[in-house]
Amino acid sequence: MDLSRYLSLFVGEAAEHVAGLSHGLVALEQSVSTGSDAGPVIDGIFRHVHSVKGMSASMQLDGIATLAHRAEDLVDLYRRHLARAEPAAVDALLATCDALQEMIAAAALGQKPAPDPALLDRLGALTRQALDGRAAQAEPAPGPARAPVPPPAPPLAPVLPAEPEPALKPGPRRLEVEVEVAAACPVPAVRAFLVVKKLAAFGSLVGSTPTVEELKAGRLPGKKLTVVLESADPLDRIERALSQISDLGAVVIRAQDGQVSTPARAPAAPAQPAAAESSRTVRVRTEVLDGFVDTVGELLIATARIREVGRALPPGLRPLLDEGVDRLHAIVKELHGQLMGVRMTPLAVVTERLPRIARDVARKLGRQVEVEVQGAEIELDRAILEELSDPLLHLLRNAVDHGIEPPHLRLLAGKPATGRITISARRDRDRVVLEVADDGKGMSAGRLREAAVRRGALDAEQAAALTEREALALATLPGVSTAEEVTDVSGRGVGLDAVRKTLETVGGTLELESTRGLGTRITLRLPLTVAVQPVLLVRVGEEVLGLPIAKVHGAVQVLYGALDRSRGAPVLPYDGELVPVHDLAALLGFDSAGRDERAVVVADGADGRIGLVVDGLLGQHEAVLKPLGPPLQAVSGLSAVTVLGTGRPVFILDVTRLLAA
Amino acid sequence: MPKRVLIVDDAIFMRNMIKDIFAGSGFEVVGEAANGLEAVEKHRELKPDLTTMDIVMPFKSGIEATREIIKGDPRAVIVMCSALGQESLVMEAIEAGASDFIVKPFKAEDVLSVVKKVLGEV
Repeated sequence: MDLSRYLSLFVGEAAEHVAGLSHGLVALEQSVSTGSDAGPVIDGIFRHVHSVKGMSASMQLDGIATLAHRAEDLVDLYRRHLARAEPAAVDALLATCDALQEMIAAAALGQKPAPDPALLDRLGALTRQALDGRAAQAEPAPGPARAPVPPPAPPLAPVLPAEPEPALKPGPRRLEVEVEVAAACPVPAVRAFLVVKKLAAFGSLVGSTPTVEELKAGRLPGKKLTVVLESADPLDRIERALSQISDLGAVVIRAQDGQVSTPARAPAAPAQPAAAESSRTVRVRTEVLDGFVDTVGELLIATARIREVGRALPPGLRPLLDEGVDRLHAIVKELHGQLMGVRMTPLAVVTERLPRIARDVARKLGRQVEVEVQGAEIELDRAILEELSDPLLHLLRNAVDHGIEPPHLRLLAGKPATGRITISARRDRDRVVLEVADDGKGMSAGRLREAAVRRGALDAEQAAALTEREALALATLPGVSTAEEVTDVSGRGVGLDAVRKTLETVGGTLELESTRGLGTRITLRLPLTVAVQPVLLVRVGEEVLGLPIAKVHGAVQVLYGALDRSRGAPVLPYDGELVPVHDLAALLGFDSAGRDERAVVVADGADGRIGLVVDGLLGQHEAVLKPLGPPLQAVSGLSAVTVLGTGRPVFILDVTRLLAA
Repeated sequence: MPKRVLIVDDAIFMRNMIKDIFAGSGFEVVGEAANGLEAVEKHRELKPDLTTMDIVMPFKSGIEATREIIKGDPRAVIVMCSALGQESLVMEAIEAGASDFIVKPFKAEDVLSVVKKVLGEV
């Protein structure tokens, strides 16, 4: 059998099982510590490790199979209630997960990885220890010698249905059946057991050598089985039944009446070549999907271009063309939507590993943490998920390291010793809202103010003027952190600041709420997809620029000269607050049209809302965003480029970094 | 008439592999099930000539599924797909009424030989 064509399917599915295994182990440890019923969790763990073993053995990846088998032996003890999962064992099993993951990755590259002998020994030792511990406990006290009991005929229910009785049936006679199990059979005792079962259906079993109990214990000396039974059935019928059992060598049936039968065993049928694979799913490399997105984006642009050209046609011809272009546009949009649907990936891909990581971090720091993930089934564009992975990890580590208190402090504060971190996701119209909340000690606005002053981000007066919410937002500025000491857990100074920046590159935002003593909640808002974004087109002098609608709050017509400048820079009263206003033309070094009647677009800047003065508003546009290549990507304040139907390229502004430019 | 086969395994990977073994060897794979619950349902619905049954599966194990299928159809032919180290489970499955078993990792010819024998075609 050519196994290579199963490889990608194997890699994908085996990796899922390893992830499930890791997940289950963390849940197991939690249920052991809370005393809840671990049975279903252990069953799940066993299933995952068992599947990995079976799949890898089938792929002839013996190294993976060996390691999984060793882990399975240990888990099986828990499943059969022969031992309890100690933390050291869970550690070893988690290390096994990591090793399996690496081995599967190596297998994906066509290698046949060997297991780490030290890890095999560790698992073996744990299994032996668990068994020894039990043996020591279970050693029965020596009791009075029992009288030898004759081996009872095992109570066996007939397995095969009785065939219709012949009209004239001879009386039952005693039969002795001798069977040899083929040397190639990997599990001879099971084979022999099957023979006993099938024979039992033909009458009543008198006895067997070895006994059924011995077979159940896996014993079949010399691979030979002798069964004695009382049966009225003709020998050929019994013969036929035995001929349907594989892996048997010589069979001899002796009847009390002197009849002997030694049916010849037919050799195994030659195998037919396997037919072409017929599966209903295909796995596609993600790069292929990215290519599709680009191509469909080009189609959207080309469609807009045709529409634009059509404007030059004589009025009589335009309706016909417009109708065609409308139809084309609808189809391309549909195609784009379907394609984006294919790229949607459940959040679970990035949240799956978080409980395990939280557990490792907590163990290292002497904390107790339970992580709950809600809404992991919610889907996001793959590109956003990829960007989300590190920030989420960072937020989680922060929560464990800086949020959750050590158990004794938690108890003093009247909280349960085990801290709780909830990662929850929900859809909110065209966005996904992701919250990371902990019930730890919360953040101190006062300490953040002090830190900001100490690092020179603010002077004391400015710091004091900040509201509670603004002070908390300081945590997302570069270099402001209240962690007393730098630990290797939540990074060195690259904290929330880096998280916020990463989110903004995909059009997301970060909000922070915290209550001293009760915990912290960080809310991330993310777009579902990145590739097509509605933008507001604005005119600055001769230039046309785009602002992501997601960042825009609104726009107002103003007389530029009449803006309130009593505090130096112009401000605009908007929605109950005074928004600082910046001249976009001046920021970008363009020439403004210079008219006094202009528009101010209010958008989310790095530190709150800002107003951007433009010469005109051109309306909304569905922009296919293309990333900037060098050297333009180095220009701060620009995030992407799009092409209008006229063929004109338009830069999309990165509002949050505009002022830093 | 090709014999109709139902494949029960929680791994798509294993199902595909077993399906490929049957396809083109005079069998018709009429259905697949990914757990014991589905297996019992599909068996009732499809009445296959042969069922290959994984043992360790979510929701309902292959052993329980076998017991239920045999209860409803004592002549059902079920071949267990087991792994090394599962001897006691296979014996339990045989007691539940399984007709035979194959041990993973298996070769195509082994699988075909076992099922052809068990169907009395050899």
